Amino acid sequence: MPDIFKSKDSGVRSLKAPISEKPNIKIHKNAVQEIPVQLPHPHGHNFKDHTHNPLASFCYYPDYVQFINEDPEEKVILLIRRHPVSNLGWLFLVFLMILAPAFLPLFSFFDLLPLGFQSVLVMIWYLITFAIALEKFLTWFFHVNIVTDERIVEVDFVNLFYREITDANIDQIQDVTVEVGGAIRTYLHYGDVVIQTAAEVPKIEFEDVPNPDKVAKILRELRLEEEQEKLEGRVR
Amino acid sequence: MNNLNFLGDTFLLVTKSGIIFFLFIYLVFAVVVVRQVKLMTETLKVGFETPIKTLALVHAIASLFVLVISFFIL
Repeated sequence: MPDIFKSKDSGVRSLKAPISEKPNIKIHKNAVQEIPVQLPHPHGHNFKDHTHNPLASFCYYPDYVQFINEDPEEKVILLIRRHPVSNLGWLFLVFLMILAPAFLPLFSFFDLLPLGFQSVLVMIWYLITFAIALEKFLTWFFHVNIVTDERIVEVDFVNLFYREITDANIDQIQDVTVEVGGAIRTYLHYGDVVIQTAAEVPKIEFEDVPNPDKVAKILRELRLEEEQEKLEGRVR
Repeated sequence: MNNLNFLGDTFLLVTKSGIIFFLFIYLVFAVVVVRQVKLMTETLKVGFETPIKTLALVHAIASLFVLVISFFIL
């Protein structure tokens, strides 16, 4: 019987290869000894939006994301947060607040205070500036929208004392609307993605997210995939 | 006159007490922020938890520093 599965050059030589043929590579004892494997992309997209930056606003198939109540089999497909431009307002405010104490000598009342009071007041001013910057940054950083292969999740860090987590299954998505309005949004290509759902929360809004069209496209594909899974009876 | 001493020691004492009280409340706020950041980093992990926790901690330490130093300066 001919061996139809045997190729001319199978390439499986490593077991019988003489020692002299092994490349002389020294691997550090702490190095991760894994061969990088080029896996096929799980979707038809060829987005260049995959990034290793944890501060990125649009991360397609992020390297590492874990969120509360995540299912072990759930795969995070997209992590999005507001476009960095949306931070310009508070960055400008913080910049002005940093500069402000330089103008205090212009006010005669401040000069009347003892030196110790002046110093402490300036320190308090910078403390408040730090708090504002930290609060705004945390609000931006933790206000994320996550799209997994099973659901969409919105983690909303409203302020330092209030947070809200909303989720809806992919098959509960009824309608996806992309809203891009205004010159800056059009130029920088960011906008809102409004998702109508049949879940308890009727509307989930991804605000000021980059590439809203791509987000809508990914959601559409996931919905089709979910419908296909239902038809084939592969629903988890 | 170079300062507000003409208003008397009472004015400065009240102001000092007010500032220290404010800084104490601020310290409580800073500790709550550290706690909230810890909760948020448990809610969402993206590989940037340590710098964020450090920022919150630096803020709390700075507020403690200002509170302590105001006891000596004021």
